Amino acid sequence: MASAAETAPPPPSPPVGGNNPAARILSERLASRVLQVEDFRGDLAITVDRRVWVEAALCLRDHPDLDFKLFLDLCGVDWLDLREERYEVVLHAYSVSKKHHVRLKVLLPESDATLDTITHVYKGANWFEREAWDLYGIVFVGHPNLTRILTHDAFVGHPMRKDYPTARRHVLKSPKEWLLRVPADNEHPVVNIGPSHPAMHGTFRVQAVMDGETIQDCEAEIGYMHRNFEKMAENRTYWQIIPYTDRLNYCSSFMNGHGWALAVEKLMAVPAPPRAEAIRVILSELSRIMDHFVCIGTNIVDLGAITPFFILFRAREDIYDLLESCCGARLTVSYVRIGGLAADVPEDFVPRCRAVMKSIVDVTSQADKLLTRNSIFTRRFKDVGALSADDALSYGWVGPCLRASGVPYDIRRDHPYSGYEQYDFDVPVGTAGDCYDRYLVRMEEIRQSLRIIDQALQKLPGGPVLVDDKRVALPPKSDVYSNIEALMNHFKLVYEGILAPPGEVYGYTEAANGELGYYIVSDGRKHPWRVKVRPPCFNIYQAFPQMIKGHLLADAVAIIGGLNIIAGELDR
Amino acid sequence: MGVLDIFRGKLIDPTAYPGVHGGGDVITTTVDAVVKWGRKSSIWPMPFGTACCAIEFMALTASHYDLARFGAEVLRFSPRQADLMFVAGTIVDKEAPILKTIYDQMPEPKWVISMGVCASSGGFYRSYHVMQGIDEIIPVDVYVPGCPPSPEALIAAVMKIQERISKGEQARAPQGAHRLGAPGDGSLDRRARKQAWNKEDGERAAKGLPPRGVISFKVLASEPGTPERG
Repeated sequence: MASAAETAPPPPSPPVGGNNPAARILSERLASRVLQVEDFRGDLAITVDRRVWVEAALCLRDHPDLDFKLFLDLCGVDWLDLREERYEVVLHAYSVSKKHHVRLKVLLPESDATLDTITHVYKGANWFEREAWDLYGIVFVGHPNLTRILTHDAFVGHPMRKDYPTARRHVLKSPKEWLLRVPADNEHPVVNIGPSHPAMHGTFRVQAVMDGETIQDCEAEIGYMHRNFEKMAENRTYWQIIPYTDRLNYCSSFMNGHGWALAVEKLMAVPAPPRAEAIRVILSELSRIMDHFVCIGTNIVDLGAITPFFILFRAREDIYDLLESCCGARLTVSYVRIGGLAADVPEDFVPRCRAVMKSIVDVTSQADKLLTRNSIFTRRFKDVGALSADDALSYGWVGPCLRASGVPYDIRRDHPYSGYEQYDFDVPVGTAGDCYDRYLVRMEEIRQSLRIIDQALQKLPGGPVLVDDKRVALPPKSDVYSNIEALMNHFKLVYEGILAPPGEVYGYTEAANGELGYYIVSDGRKHPWRVKVRPPCFNIYQAFPQMIKGHLLADAVAIIGGLNIIAGELDR
Repeated sequence: MGVLDIFRGKLIDPTAYPGVHGGGDVITTTVDAVVKWGRKSSIWPMPFGTACCAIEFMALTASHYDLARFGAEVLRFSPRQADLMFVAGTIVDKEAPILKTIYDQMPEPKWVISMGVCASSGGFYRSYHVMQGIDEIIPVDVYVPGCPPSPEALIAAVMKIQERISKGEQARAPQGAHRLGAPGDGSLDRRARKQAWNKEDGERAAKGLPPRGVISFKVLASEPGTPERG
């Protein structure tokens, strides 16, 4: 075999970006304005000149062979002294029809950190550009409302810059009074909802100009839960970030850790063993069910019925018990490790899991009976808060909400990870894109998740749950106490952390609310240089003010509950 | 002598309660004691839930743990109707004035439970936008550790509040007010640290000292008659 390989001519090097035509088409269109094309771990990254930023984004969106209609993420990166040009703006987009991801980058010097806005290309870019301005001070020329979004108004400076001290706080004395520009001769009442309002779940704020019962104009404010995950992540090792990820979407903590582990494993090119992947799938699907329970349950509570909440939370307690038996924590589990899991599941995991599944089937059918054909419920939900598929893509919706709008995109099926390709499941899709469709999609996803869990339990492989790789996994304790190599390896890993290779990856998974992406930039040291979470809720909530215009005030409550906005993930 | 305690469902000795005295068929007590007893058995909590802890708070009020067993089932989402506030979750600087307003709107007497480490001390979010404990702005009666605390710990906290109510204890002033807006420049970034070190090195060089980090040992002059130190 070896001699044959030596004599055979070397295989032609694959074109950059694999079968993704984005680099070729952009190079043809923009010629020398495309500065750099990189392909690291299968992620295509194209750096363009700042003068063609908008043109490049338009080309990506509108070219028939590219069709990057789905806006994913836009963020800033601060390179400080490492590069000549200090700032970088990074756009992630996805093509649902061609199944390609792309990363478009542009470099900006410190002396002139300005860039043309792409809010007219992607609707979703609006809040992301505000965020990049708020956190990095990058000015987007032509942006309709470039104001602070995550931090408060009394804040001084741009906190995500590398020369901003992590813990320097500023005191806010009183909240922002007006979110809307209300004319002086306005005769319509202005209603302020939240942030301390039961329907706003504590941390969202909406201000609406009312015309009778109808919302005429409205504006939302976020940032009431901005606890700086990204800044903290820059001062932590890859392991230490795992507990922080649990607190992003705290309704389904395990899935965030799962996504984080996969992203770092992609960066390190260390796949987890099959048993760990299967257990991750099972617990992720249980977390998805739990998340949908919270969404449906609290949505109904907001509408005034408490019985389904009590029923659904019964099974939720059972899932909690299962998680507790695996890792000792109910809510914030911290169960994954880079390259596997912290520990193997208990011996009676399979029967326990079966029992939990039975209880889930039981409560789901009860809630189904109470809700799905309930005339009060359907009248509150049907034809309320509909969003078209085009708008949903432009805002960057992914997950149950996008599928309810009729786009059959599910990462588990289209880009399978953790062995999802082995399992047989259906992707439910809505037709009208209203609240009722979102509810139905969630109910069906619960059933499909149960199917996946069932299959995963049937073929649960044996073997280790942590990869045997000295770069990422701690050696077993018995080795640490008995031989010097393992002891040194343990010491180095704990002291120095995981040393990732320099490079950047975008790892994405299908979390309960949609695509949860981690964009990790590593400079080869033990702390990541930059971590950007692509939170599904941020994109979804951005569309909320537009969706409720023209609806009744009471409908706004039904809509926000059905979108399942989680503050920890929205504001990070 | 015994009277029926509807909360325990059995006959109890009323004189076990503070301020209640018995003799024959007559019980004497004070209005104060009765009011405290009533108050502690009918707490109206208001959840000020912002983050993960709010999810565990939901579990506390839902069917399995059932806070109603402690007479605290009437959750009020309006501060004007509540006497116990659960601050469940991280409070960031942006949320702080709202928390203060809500607390001020609660009628006296009022109690506050700080649920979880984020509300108690900022937790592991020691960063630019997170309040390092709600006691910077409002008084706290009971701190519950945990991230998030288990529902059992919360039940214990509610019982602690009941104890405080029956003793007439109440926190009056924010315990951590001195921390409000503390600069917290402890962790500096790479460039600032480099600049600070360069400055310090420059200062040391101007004084004729060796650069920072270089330790120079004093050479002891060996005088006759004294033993040399190594």
